[in-house]
Amino acid sequence: MTGEAGVERPVTGEAGVERPATGEAGVERPVTGEVGGPGRPVRVMIVDDHPMWREGVARDLTEAGHLVVATSGEGRQAVRVAPAARPDVVVLDLQLPDISGVAVIQGLREALPDVRVLMLSASGEQQSVLDAVKAGATGYLVKSAAPAEFLDAVRRTAAGEPVFTPGLAGLVLGEYRRLAATPAGPAGSSPGETPRLTERETEVLRLVAKGLSYKQIAQRLGLSHRTVQNHVQNTLGKLQLHNRVELTRYAIERGLD
Amino acid sequence: MAGERCGIVTRMPSSPGGFEMPLWRAVAVFRVASLAYVCLVALREADRYAHPLAGAGLVLLMAVWTAVTAFGYARPAWRRWPLLLADLGVVLAILLATPWVIGRAALHGGVPTLAVAWLAGPVLAWAVSGGRRRGTVAAVVIGGADLATRERISTSSLTGAILLLLAGAVVGHVARLAVTAEERLQRAVELEAATRERERLARGIHDSVLQVLALVQRRGADLPGEAGELARLAGEQEAALRALIGGAALPPATGGHDEVDVRTLLSRYARAGVSLSAPATPVPLPATVARELAAATAAALDNVERHAGGRAWVLVEDEGATVTVSVRDEGPGIPEGRLEEAQAQGRLGVAQSIRGRVADLGGTVRIASSPDAGTEVELTVPRSDR
Repeated sequence: MTGEAGVERPVTGEAGVERPATGEAGVERPVTGEVGGPGRPVRVMIVDDHPMWREGVARDLTEAGHLVVATSGEGRQAVRVAPAARPDVVVLDLQLPDISGVAVIQGLREALPDVRVLMLSASGEQQSVLDAVKAGATGYLVKSAAPAEFLDAVRRTAAGEPVFTPGLAGLVLGEYRRLAATPAGPAGSSPGETPRLTERETEVLRLVAKGLSYKQIAQRLGLSHRTVQNHVQNTLGKLQLHNRVELTRYAIERGLD
Repeated sequence: MAGERCGIVTRMPSSPGGFEMPLWRAVAVFRVASLAYVCLVALREADRYAHPLAGAGLVLLMAVWTAVTAFGYARPAWRRWPLLLADLGVVLAILLATPWVIGRAALHGGVPTLAVAWLAGPVLAWAVSGGRRRGTVAAVVIGGADLATRERISTSSLTGAILLLLAGAVVGHVARLAVTAEERLQRAVELEAATRERERLARGIHDSVLQVLALVQRRGADLPGEAGELARLAGEQEAALRALIGGAALPPATGGHDEVDVRTLLSRYARAGVSLSAPATPVPLPATVARELAAATAAALDNVERHAGGRAWVLVEDEGATVTVSVRDEGPGIPEGRLEEAQAQGRLGVAQSIRGRVADLGGTVRIASSPDAGTEVELTVPRSDR
């Protein structure tokens, strides 16, 4: 691990040095799908405007055997640095001094379509967390989560699992109900476009919101752990797809006007 | 009435009088304009007066009194009973002196009264100072005195009195409206300032205190002894603070006059160990329903604190026609028949305070408990008048 860390020096924008890590491209090629497995370190980028926090998180990750490939205190810089750093997971604080968390996520996903975003937030801002999820973030954690919980979340995010807090499940549940209650836009859109939860998905999401772990949910509903996870993932996927469709439609409408 | 108005004045030091000021200015303008009319009439009709010199004196008195009132009513502190009563008294005296000055015969012969339209001055002043009722009282006094000075009540003089009465009532009504509007505006401005201040504080707290508390908790969680305890305390404070500023960021009321966002009420129960899940958008309920629902939730959480170790999850769901709040814990569960037993023994507890409150709202309570999965209390209330 230490050897790799030496080769792969973190791209720190702090000092204004933005060194593209293209030289090492052959050394570490992430293999999507296997990332986060027991043998593989996860390439993590930390975006947070609090230096003390960045250091603490980086130390935890390095100690756990992961690779911190970049850290940044600003959103724009993070988006610029990301293509060179090629992180698997971006640990993102939603409150950055320059641009919104949503803008960072959009920028990151444009540059690296496969990148996964784990949001961290200290104040549990509701709407911004939901917006970030709709923009494509798949994990959310409050900053006070224990280090073990955090490391687990990074690993699961890298493996493509959605990391939900009960709070996030409540937000997503509320968002589906809001979408179902409000008419689907004035522009003559068909009702089929409004994403809806299946009964099972609603059931699972409600249990997540009530603090049950995937394992407990699987037990209670007589499902496999994997199925529960898929249900949760689908609730996010539909919301994100709907968001993309809405954005595209908005862009077309604006473009045609 | 006076006290109420003083309250407004003290709350709005920047604009003494506020919306009322233009009204007072309008009254002053009316008095000056009507005085000019009085002078015109007096000049034209002076040779028909029984006592022209006294008439000139009275017109002079009217001019002086117009100046006094214009000056006096411009100051909020002077708009009290002494000036209002003096105003009414002076105009009344001039009115009552009119028959002697002009002479009954001349009046009967069609000479206009001395005060003509000027007599409406105190009626307007009373209306602006105290609303419809005061305006009407002044109009009745002045109008009555005007009618009393006449030999014969003609249609036109009666019309004048009725117009006076209407002016008193309408101007009073408008003045009240202005005061109410001003109070509302003031409240809205205060609310906006408070919200902005809270948001500023929340940002500040997020950037500093929360981050540090979270960090302390994080780094110290695994340390033994006192350090670990400190970290745990930091974590508790972090959660409490987060709930506080998170709740403060929500608007306290949403749209409708008496509706409250249930999330705001429940956010104060979120603390370390109690997680609150809710939609991102407000969950409005009539204030009384929201408060009862919050109280029932608090009772359920108290119960968790006492019997299930304090760890709890609260979920708020807005189903349109109903609102559901669920409280779940991972305690030992409630043994079969325990609730019925407690109720049979006449002990108030979950059954009474939760079921009672929710039943009063026309809602339902569902309690599910098992030894290995803790207890889940689901409170559902209808959103009746929406």
